[in-house]
Amino acid sequence: MEEVLETQVVVIGGGITGAGILRDLALRGIKAILVEQGDLGHGTSTRNHGLLHSGGRYAVRDPEAAVESYHENLILKKTIPGSIEKTGGLFVKLPEDDDDYAQKWLRSCKKLGIPVEEIPVEQALREEPYLNKKAQAVFCVPDGAVDDFTLLVDVCADAVRRGAKTLTYHKVTDIVTEQERVVGVCIRDVLTGMEKEIRADIVVNAAGPWGMEIAGMAGVPLKIINNKGMLVVFSHRFNKRVINRLRMPGDGDIFVPAHDVTIFGTTGVNTENPNDFSLSRPELEHMLADGKALIPSIDDMRLIRAYSGSRPLYQTSAGRGSSGRDVTRGMALLDHHERDGMDGFITITGGKLTTFRLMAEKTVDLVCEKLGVQANCTTNVETVSGRRTGDSFNKADIAPAARHKLRNWAGVQAPKIESALKEEESSHIVCECEQVTWAEIEAAMPEKGSFRLGGIRRRTRLGMGPCQGTFCNFRAAALAAEKGRATIEEADGALLHAVSERKKGMGVVATGETARQLLLMETIYRVSLGFGEEAHQNV
Amino acid sequence: MLDPNILETTYEKCLKCNACVASCPVSGVTLDFGGPKHLGPELKRLVDNQQIIDDKRIEFCTLCGNCDMSCPENVHVSTLTAYAKAIHTEKSGFSFRDFVLSNAELVGKMASAFAPVTNMAMKMKPIRKMMEKMMGIPEDRQFPNYQFKNFNRVYKNKTSGSKRKVAYFVGCYATYNAPEVAGSFVKVMEYNGIEVAIPRQKCCGIPMLANGRMNRAQKNASDNIESLLAYTRRGYDVVATCTSCSLALKKEYLSINGTDEARELAAHVYDADEYLRMLKEEGELNVNLAPMKDRAGYHAPCHMRAQGMGNPAMDMLELIPEYDVQDLGAGCCGQCGTFGFKKEKYDVSMKLGRTMAESVKDLGADYTVTECGMCKNQLDQLTDKAVKHPIQILAESYERAKRAI
Repeated sequence: MEEVLETQVVVIGGGITGAGILRDLALRGIKAILVEQGDLGHGTSTRNHGLLHSGGRYAVRDPEAAVESYHENLILKKTIPGSIEKTGGLFVKLPEDDDDYAQKWLRSCKKLGIPVEEIPVEQALREEPYLNKKAQAVFCVPDGAVDDFTLLVDVCADAVRRGAKTLTYHKVTDIVTEQERVVGVCIRDVLTGMEKEIRADIVVNAAGPWGMEIAGMAGVPLKIINNKGMLVVFSHRFNKRVINRLRMPGDGDIFVPAHDVTIFGTTGVNTENPNDFSLSRPELEHMLADGKALIPSIDDMRLIRAYSGSRPLYQTSAGRGSSGRDVTRGMALLDHHERDGMDGFITITGGKLTTFRLMAEKTVDLVCEKLGVQANCTTNVETVSGRRTGDSFNKADIAPAARHKLRNWAGVQAPKIESALKEEESSHIVCECEQVTWAEIEAAMPEKGSFRLGGIRRRTRLGMGPCQGTFCNFRAAALAAEKGRATIEEADGALLHAVSERKKGMGVVATGETARQLLLMETIYRVSLGFGEEAHQNV
Repeated sequence: MLDPNILETTYEKCLKCNACVASCPVSGVTLDFGGPKHLGPELKRLVDNQQIIDDKRIEFCTLCGNCDMSCPENVHVSTLTAYAKAIHTEKSGFSFRDFVLSNAELVGKMASAFAPVTNMAMKMKPIRKMMEKMMGIPEDRQFPNYQFKNFNRVYKNKTSGSKRKVAYFVGCYATYNAPEVAGSFVKVMEYNGIEVAIPRQKCCGIPMLANGRMNRAQKNASDNIESLLAYTRRGYDVVATCTSCSLALKKEYLSINGTDEARELAAHVYDADEYLRMLKEEGELNVNLAPMKDRAGYHAPCHMRAQGMGNPAMDMLELIPEYDVQDLGAGCCGQCGTFGFKKEKYDVSMKLGRTMAESVKDLGADYTVTECGMCKNQLDQLTDKAVKHPIQILAESYERAKRAI
């Protein structure tokens, strides 16, 4: 081992569950280190709808999850306002949808306390011009949109501010056990290859789809079903509110407005491999055919990319017959001491983005019990710094559209970005689709570590627009090299990686304009910039 | 409020390639304009169905339409910039000056009623100084003359008796400033055995669009569509001598009105030279044109080019024996309708006009030919050559042929 660290708790997995646990631990004064194999949100947490559930979707099938969702919805709107847009949501009943279900749904929402308000169909059509004109009934619910990228970044930053530590791009290579007890983890820095060990009292497995692999390292049997769902991004935001279909939840029936795009999904196919992010054209077409019922013109709209992620679903029948401590059918908190006789090891899995805070609360309650710490959870009241900064950036000489974006985005970094914008070069728009300035990009770069466009993208929206980085990826890489923020080799590598990642998501939706966009992108990189399959040329 | 039902969705097709920025005359001379890509498709995507963002820089868009022509994906860039203008005007209001400038028709009526006085007043320094100070109309900017004997006073035909029937969309400029152009058009049609009817008409709406007055432009569009359809449905072709008017009828109405009626009308609209060229192709044109030994330079107005019909004025002028006409190929004139009459745009207008003025000088022709009255205004100010409408040249050639018999 080249480096040995010590802490009280190691959290494996930099998704939203892990991040929530890290923050909760920090708030309760427990020392913790989060280990993540890639960037924050490498897995499921950034590969979903970004829907803040009102509970409406589960009201009939899973009342318990519905109540949890609604409760957490209210808490998150108050405590993490910067990453949530209170869009509201609609449940739309179409002629072919079952009347009985609608009645059951209304009754159940009423019983569970989820506020539902019916609005006239004409009003809904006026407000949502793309909605199917044949809609029979429309109900408003308090759904919202979550930016999962900023949510993760902000929750982690808050934890770090309170003394926690994160190690991204560190892969767990082994779980260290001593006499039926987990005492630490072995990790490898995937960028440098450096091997490290962290000694800890408790290890929390919050690795989502990779949870089985982690449990396996501790010699604990665990069956997780990875249920892969596909989502697509439309080139612009065409709905003001979340649009759900009022029927038994199925494929392709949710449209979520997210910043300047609309996200639509999803599907469900079981997969063995947690690293399986594959995309299938038939699956996409099937989903679009379903979605047409709600938004008939989606065939004419431009899709800019697709992505997929796996829901880690816990299966109780596995293991040694013990059901662990099922918090609900949605989330599973497993005390492996109780379940498998392996002390110091906890798995938290299942659940939803909307209920991550509750999952963290339950997990940390168990950690406290094990450590003998008396501390109550405060994440239901303690707020994470917001993102909206009112009428800041008044003096910045930038396009009103860029100013608008910064006011809704810059958050605690506003003073830093505002002062950087005084320099003319920093106020240049690098990504035009999403109006990202160089000042923002610089603020999003890590103090140390290598230059990566993906990390910048998740923190600024660079390259998330319709052109998918055709122009801004090379601009950002070239500027970074020019300004000494990256070596030329780093910039080259980052650019190649970013472009190939963008191309993967575009390929499956590449018809019409997106096919031409892809060709334009390839031509720019291959012909104009002279990039081959591998990085040879300089930026 | 803007009508949200105009769902102009072509912005979805933008590949961000910058062809429109490269071809934008204004972007070429100033950084004060945010460019057609940003203020057109890009901004529309960011505000569509969302919070409106007002960008003042849209004032620098002249609605010349070069962006539309350059776009490989057929994005209606100038319709989208017109939308941004409408947002800006709705958010920030419009000045008295912009109200006046955008009301070409009202101003025409009033100015031509007192034509000699108006024309004199517009050349008096103290008055111009006052106008610059109070209205922001630059002192040095020349104005077109207004004619007391405007075309409405001299020609009142409401129907046509010939086999081919033309409903002439005269436009504000030929009505109030250049009735001689309208007169020449009627003559040229007569030489071809076509009687000309003048339908009831309002300003085409282009000056209103350019000043962000979308609602007024839409009102005029629906009035004109109604009035002109009454003619086309009786077998008339609608012909205009002003290329901005024909662009509006053919293209802008499809976006700002968007009805089936707008599409029906558009199919019957011709630019004057385009109409004559069509007659030639059909073998119906009177080709008895007398030789003219003039040497002319042709300036192609942006709104002519935006119609994607080649260069019908050149095609027609080349039919005149011994006539020597050459394309100046100088791009945008910089007057850009009402744009060049505004103090804060005057520098840009002059910069844009320089290329054109230089190529007129280099060519050293006898005079300049162009269809657009506003291009003529800039040519009058920046060059010492006379400026004529192609239809005037054709009329003269026909006239000479008749006298020779």
